[in-house]
Amino acid sequence: METSGAARAADAPGPDVPAGSGVPAAGAGSTASADGTAEAAPTLPSERRMTRPRACVATGVSAGLAEHLGWPVWIVRTAFIVASLAAGAGLLLYLWLWALTPWAPGDERPSRSAPVAWILIAASTVCLVPVWLTQASGPGYVAAVGTWFGPTLAGIGAAVAAGAWATFIDRAESIRGPRHELTIRIAATAMLSVTVLVFVVVLGQSTTTTKTFGAAFTALAALVGIALVFAPTLIAQWRDLTAERTRRIREEERSEIAAHLHDSVLQTLALIQNRAGATSEVARIARAQERELRDWLFAGDAPLDSNLATDLRDYGGALEIDYPVTFDVVVVGESRERASGELAAAAREAMLNAARHAGGEVSVYVESSPESVEVFVRDRGPGFALADVPGDRLGVRQSIIGRMRRVGGSGEVRPGAGGVGTEVRLRYPAERVGSENGRG
Amino acid sequence: MAEASDRALEARPTVRVVVVDDHSIFRSGLKADLADSIEVVGEAHDVESAVRVVTDVAPDVVLLDVHLPGLAVPAGTTGGAEVIRRAAPSVPGTRFLALSVSDKAEDVVGVIRAGARGYITKGSSGADVSRAVHAVAGGDAVFSPKLAGFVLDAFGAAVGETAAASDELDRLSAREQEVMRLIARGYAYKEVAAELFISTKTVETHVSAVLRKLQLSSRHELTAWANARRLL
Repeated sequence: METSGAARAADAPGPDVPAGSGVPAAGAGSTASADGTAEAAPTLPSERRMTRPRACVATGVSAGLAEHLGWPVWIVRTAFIVASLAAGAGLLLYLWLWALTPWAPGDERPSRSAPVAWILIAASTVCLVPVWLTQASGPGYVAAVGTWFGPTLAGIGAAVAAGAWATFIDRAESIRGPRHELTIRIAATAMLSVTVLVFVVVLGQSTTTTKTFGAAFTALAALVGIALVFAPTLIAQWRDLTAERTRRIREEERSEIAAHLHDSVLQTLALIQNRAGATSEVARIARAQERELRDWLFAGDAPLDSNLATDLRDYGGALEIDYPVTFDVVVVGESRERASGELAAAAREAMLNAARHAGGEVSVYVESSPESVEVFVRDRGPGFALADVPGDRLGVRQSIIGRMRRVGGSGEVRPGAGGVGTEVRLRYPAERVGSENGRG
Repeated sequence: MAEASDRALEARPTVRVVVVDDHSIFRSGLKADLADSIEVVGEAHDVESAVRVVTDVAPDVVLLDVHLPGLAVPAGTTGGAEVIRRAAPSVPGTRFLALSVSDKAEDVVGVIRAGARGYITKGSSGADVSRAVHAVAGGDAVFSPKLAGFVLDAFGAAVGETAAASDELDRLSAREQEVMRLIARGYAYKEVAAELFISTKTVETHVSAVLRKLQLSSRHELTAWANARRLL
């Protein structure tokens, strides 16, 4: 009964959603919590809220009601069938309970043991096949409208319901298999198509107005049924298409803006830097602006995760605003080093020194090879000899060389090539990179 | 070092240059900044006019914007690369120096592979551009630190790939790697020479060899790298 009840009920859209807060049992539930005995007597059926079991046959209404009332399930089912005979009262009650009864609390997805969609297809077959056979029983024969109109509409309804059930309810259940939805849809379409054909033939053979109208209406209903069976897929595809189109339009607009900014603003910023002299304040502002704009233009391409290379680039950008200096950061190899490591701290210190004491153009070169990570910071300033620095000045000795030695790497400060400026060289063995990352 | 090379610039013969850029402000700014030893003999603002001017004037060097508008530029390439492809066959004595604001690896490598002898950014000072023009006019290649870094990456130098034979196109020799590393660290050719105890001429030879490899190598990573790393 449960399944045949559902068969007629499944036309109702989205009945699976537990609507409301369990109206039939709400009174009992609130009473229980009001007198504070809910925990003490949770097993008393009268104080329990009616729920539908998550592992059910079709909808869980009969099982839930039977458990709620303390009756055997078969009595509840029989009662529904008998009541349905009374002008469909049982069916209405069933639908009402289905719509308003929540699922039993739990985490697992509701699972249904009955192949409801197939039962609906079978019901549709039972309704439609006799009609086809009657109509085809003799050439030119058209049965009286009253004998086939009801069953045909019921069959069409069942086929549409099967499609809807497979689409909206069975889709979430993996046990039905991936092709279940498609198979059901094909079966329902087959039923409806044959019905359309049969009634088009009937339409041609009809002799009375009633028969003509009846046949036309039925054929039309079957056509609408086919449309309804495919509507969910079509709607989903249409949605995907719209989303795709929106995305493409956005993408196009963005690249158009990027191209425009590239051709105008970036060029102007480059020109400003060029004309104002590399380390002048105007040029530095223009450079910072250029970097910001680039970050925005190519935002989608930059890795979000901060690594040594991106960190040193950002740090260089920040220093350029405060000091008359430009950093040219070149990165080779995949940077595995994190920004939080000691190597990064030492490299930042070297960059800060270069910005403070040398200025001008500073080259930063990061190379990650399988054996080691190396960072070179080279400036063209007045130069610097480690021996000349008083011992109490901690900057270079402690924060660059000492720091690298402590973590197992090496640091070296020497005059730049040709005796111009200073070059700081930091080296960090690759096997330590992983462990430091763990710490950092 | 800057004064020394400026003096050197004075001594060199005048170089005839065509400036190709779609922004008139940039062209005039660049013209005003170039050293006296560089004579601008023509200007162009798009692919078609650039091809016309370059073939008419046949300059020593073309300063070529990578991103140049043009009517029939095929997708996947840049206006700059297209100018080289169309104009280079009719002016064999002309050398192309790419100027770019974008630093996008695929664009820069595209224009180098089309035949440019070097690449510098538009932010470079007039003196830098002048030096680069003279270098290119003298037949040398001009590598910025970023381009050198890209080359090291693209040829797998960071993961220890080294060419076994000197004529191998898909990998750099050990010496070429050393030169590229120093250029990436911001060394000028002269400083590279001093560091490696070789002559400046030898450094230039190595750089030209790397440029040739960059142009001729069929190494598939070149494109892959270019696409993966938009910023050179």
